[in-house]
Amino acid sequence: MSAATETALGLTESKGIGARLAKFVIYAGLFTVFAGPLLALLVGSFNHVSDPTQLSVVPRTPTLDNFRIAFDHGVLRYLLNSFFVVGFGLLLQVAVSVLAGYALARKKFPLMTLVMVAILATMMLPEEILALPLTLVLADLPLVHLNLMGTLAGMIVPLGAWAFSILVMTEFMKDVPRELEEAARIDGAGELRIFGQIILPLCKPALGVIGVFGFTMIWDQYLLPLLVAQNSSAYTLPLALRTLRIDPAVTPGVVLAASLLALLPSVLVFLFFQRSFARGLTSGALKG
Amino acid sequence: MSVREATRLTAPAQVAPAAADRPRQKRRDGQWWVPWLFLAPALVLFVYFKFIPMAQAIGMSVQEVRPYLGNTWVGGANYAEVLGSDGFRSAAWNTIVLAVGQTFGSMLLGFCLALLVEGQTRKLTFIRSAAFLPVVVPLAVVAELWRIMYHPTGDGLINQVIGLVGLGPSGFINDPHTSLASIAVTGIWRGAPYDMMIFLAGLAGIDRGLYEAATVDGASTRQRILHVTLPGLRPVFAILFVLAAVRGFRTFTEVFLLTNGGPNGSTEVVMTLIYKLGLEQSRLGVGSAGAVLLFGATLVLTVCVQLLRRRRAA
Amino acid sequence: MAAGVGLALVVTACGGGGAGKAEQDPSAPLELWARTTPGGDGEKGMKKLAAAFEAATGQKVEVTAIFDDFETKLSQRAAQKDLPDIVMNDSSQLGTMVSQGIVREVDLSAIKGSDQLLEPALAAARATDGKTYGVPYSAQASALLIRKDWLKKVNLTAPANWDQMVALAKAFTTQDPDGNGKADTYGLAVPGSTKRGYASWYFSNFLWAAGGDFIAKQSDGKYKPAMSTPESVAATKWFRDLACTSKVVQPGAATMDTPPTNETFEAGKTGMYVVGPYLMPRFDSSLGKDKYEVVPMPKGPKDSTVLAEGGSVYLMAGSKNEAAQNAFAGYAISADGQKIGMEGEKAFIVQLPVNKSVDITTVRPDPRWKLYADVYREHGRYAPSIPNWTPVRQSTADTVNALIADCGLDVDAELKKLDQKLTDTLSQQGVNAS
Repeated sequence: MSAATETALGLTESKGIGARLAKFVIYAGLFTVFAGPLLALLVGSFNHVSDPTQLSVVPRTPTLDNFRIAFDHGVLRYLLNSFFVVGFGLLLQVAVSVLAGYALARKKFPLMTLVMVAILATMMLPEEILALPLTLVLADLPLVHLNLMGTLAGMIVPLGAWAFSILVMTEFMKDVPRELEEAARIDGAGELRIFGQIILPLCKPALGVIGVFGFTMIWDQYLLPLLVAQNSSAYTLPLALRTLRIDPAVTPGVVLAASLLALLPSVLVFLFFQRSFARGLTSGALKG
Repeated sequence: MSVREATRLTAPAQVAPAAADRPRQKRRDGQWWVPWLFLAPALVLFVYFKFIPMAQAIGMSVQEVRPYLGNTWVGGANYAEVLGSDGFRSAAWNTIVLAVGQTFGSMLLGFCLALLVEGQTRKLTFIRSAAFLPVVVPLAVVAELWRIMYHPTGDGLINQVIGLVGLGPSGFINDPHTSLASIAVTGIWRGAPYDMMIFLAGLAGIDRGLYEAATVDGASTRQRILHVTLPGLRPVFAILFVLAAVRGFRTFTEVFLLTNGGPNGSTEVVMTLIYKLGLEQSRLGVGSAGAVLLFGATLVLTVCVQLLRRRRAA
Repeated sequence: MAAGVGLALVVTACGGGGAGKAEQDPSAPLELWARTTPGGDGEKGMKKLAAAFEAATGQKVEVTAIFDDFETKLSQRAAQKDLPDIVMNDSSQLGTMVSQGIVREVDLSAIKGSDQLLEPALAAARATDGKTYGVPYSAQASALLIRKDWLKKVNLTAPANWDQMVALAKAFTTQDPDGNGKADTYGLAVPGSTKRGYASWYFSNFLWAAGGDFIAKQSDGKYKPAMSTPESVAATKWFRDLACTSKVVQPGAATMDTPPTNETFEAGKTGMYVVGPYLMPRFDSSLGKDKYEVVPMPKGPKDSTVLAEGGSVYLMAGSKNEAAQNAFAGYAISADGQKIGMEGEKAFIVQLPVNKSVDITTVRPDPRWKLYADVYREHGRYAPSIPNWTPVRQSTADTVNALIADCGLDVDAELKKLDQKLTDTLSQQGVNAS
């Protein structure tokens, strides 16, 4: 019996010195290219004065001051604000996208294409242009006449509308075989059961994708919190990063220190969600 | 073979519904309002926070926007200003070149990366996380790091590396001839891990049993990829092509941070032009006009792509 | 969709021409917006000044600091016809704010102490119609920062004219003043990026001193492009030679805005930098006070004119308490207000005083501040207050940037093209002299 191949390239199967060496070189190369510049980030955050022409491997003027200054500028509070916004925002976004994806992927209904195109169209206008109209809407929501400026709801609710996650869920949900759904219907399953117990579990990789990307997108959101926040105590992390960068009295090391704090949660979230798209499906999952 | 086809083989008991059953099947598919119910939360949020502001922005494009004194109607004047502006044509060309270059570069590299890092071993998890880092680093930091690496003298990091293979020091972003390519490389560096993630999700959905079957049949790695992997990645390619059209034209931040459209307009893209003409001078009408032009181009492209896909699927 | 279009139409319809004078209420609190980073030192300084004003007059002031979204938030309030009472913003924003109709004319006779204001600052607060629309409260000018230790190493003194400056720059570039055996030092740090017009902003410290100009004011009060005059051409050629011929400018200057350029100076990659006083606290900490010195800009072909900038108190239209607006402006420019504004190691909002009677050394004994104050008074020159300075600065920056990035371009040809663009810009703003 030949060994099952776990991956497309089947690299894990290849043994032998030549293959191992090649693998080592390739992976080392990958690591250097993609993670290398970030080591520079790490080093730079411990550096008092950075050389703008070299990426250093070792801090030449080591200091912990950068982190202290970053915290003095309120980075910790902005970090907590960010966590709050992301926590609720991501939940809302995933829920909305998963429901919408189900309709767009599994149902046929009039105006379907129009809705899809309209949703995609929202990715085509740059946010900066929408800034002023968005503030006008947030200040006075049509029909309900609520003012969301300065509120946490104002920073969180608009995040639920993200075309990317709807796009991803739709495409992946389209791929689930009709037969499974029909079998479930014959068994008398209602819409919600089909949605929650048949379609959704088969889309775990897609959920992983929108989880990670949604997290990163909301975490890095700059414009919306900027517009909604009425005072700086409600700021999220990207705003802090920007103010640090343009403040002429702040050295670049501080910005790097703050950036390091900013990217750690995203990395942790990625590690968490990795499992969902590392594990492949086997035919056993589909039988029975 | 995709998951869909594989299931057809493993569930032979399922019989295709007879013609007479079809009307009943439609009703069994659910009431007409079911899809709308599922779409409702999304639609409400989109209408409030996307469609209404978008409509306003389109409205602003034909006005001179003076919030206090009141907007005045200027018809096509804003559009004429954007289209007639010095450098619009080269900005449009640069945008297209950058969009195509970054899209295909990221897709190709992302695909190769995904193939290399898929799998469950601990080592692969580590490499995967390392490869993901460019996505999480704030763009402003990415720009500064690349500016340092692109240092134009022989001491610059990348110049040292290419010096090893005998290539001379390049000006990179400072030289009008290499600036656009340099920005494309930075964009690909950031975009490939992004695409890699989506490819990984797609690869995870491919039935392992198919690989096993292919190996049993004596297929080589290349054949396996061609006949099992690629077809299974249909949703991924669909997503990425749509994103390519949409995101590609909107490239702004990397260019803004690295070169701001210079030197000498060699990296000017439509978004940086809109920023200079409109937003930086608080002339929102002009900015909106430029954005609507971009929007129109992207919409046309996306609709074409969707139509092509439907024709292929039919 | 319909709601959106409706909203857009409503915004248009409501506009009929700005609000007339609002009903006055002398006890209404003043809402003040400062264009500075929230939670930062600028906000602290502003609050300090506001508190002192409250203590002196009993008039309440609410301070809000806004930075990146300043224009958007101001536009939003403008659309709602509810502007803040006072906006503390750059002097260069005068033209834009006037064009949008959101500032009201200032009656200098109603502002106590306006006769004590320095003339260049006042001139910068006048729009093209000759009326005053802002009250300047802070100023800054550029001076030359030089690495003191490098000067000693190459055995030269601070330059007194442009020739000496070039010689010094060449010495810094070729004689390895940091002694590390590598040719990695350069004479002059230049933020040559087109971002926010930095290349042009920096170049103005040289152009005017050479007798050149971006646009020249004519007798009828309108302007003509002036980048093709012999003086402007000569100055541009001289500047570009620094980058292309003598190569004394840091590599990568064409894509660097101020943060990376600041870094080259403090990391010891460049030996000279022309900047305002606001970088001294940072360089003192990162480089060390003993490592660099501040001297006035050397004399160019004409004189030592340098770029002056500043902040103004703008009295916004439609305020309910115009008397309080005037009172606050008067306080900000009074000797007391200026001194309070200058106090503090970091949280100061007044860099150089605009009040003739205020001597900076009473608050800041550091002689370098006095140097800057004198340079401002004697050599400072503001950008002209045309309705919108930004496009002029942008076009000029594009040209300067192109010239230092692509050494093969023909200076005369590029400057002629620039003049053509400037003519169009000036016509668009209605200030083009025929």
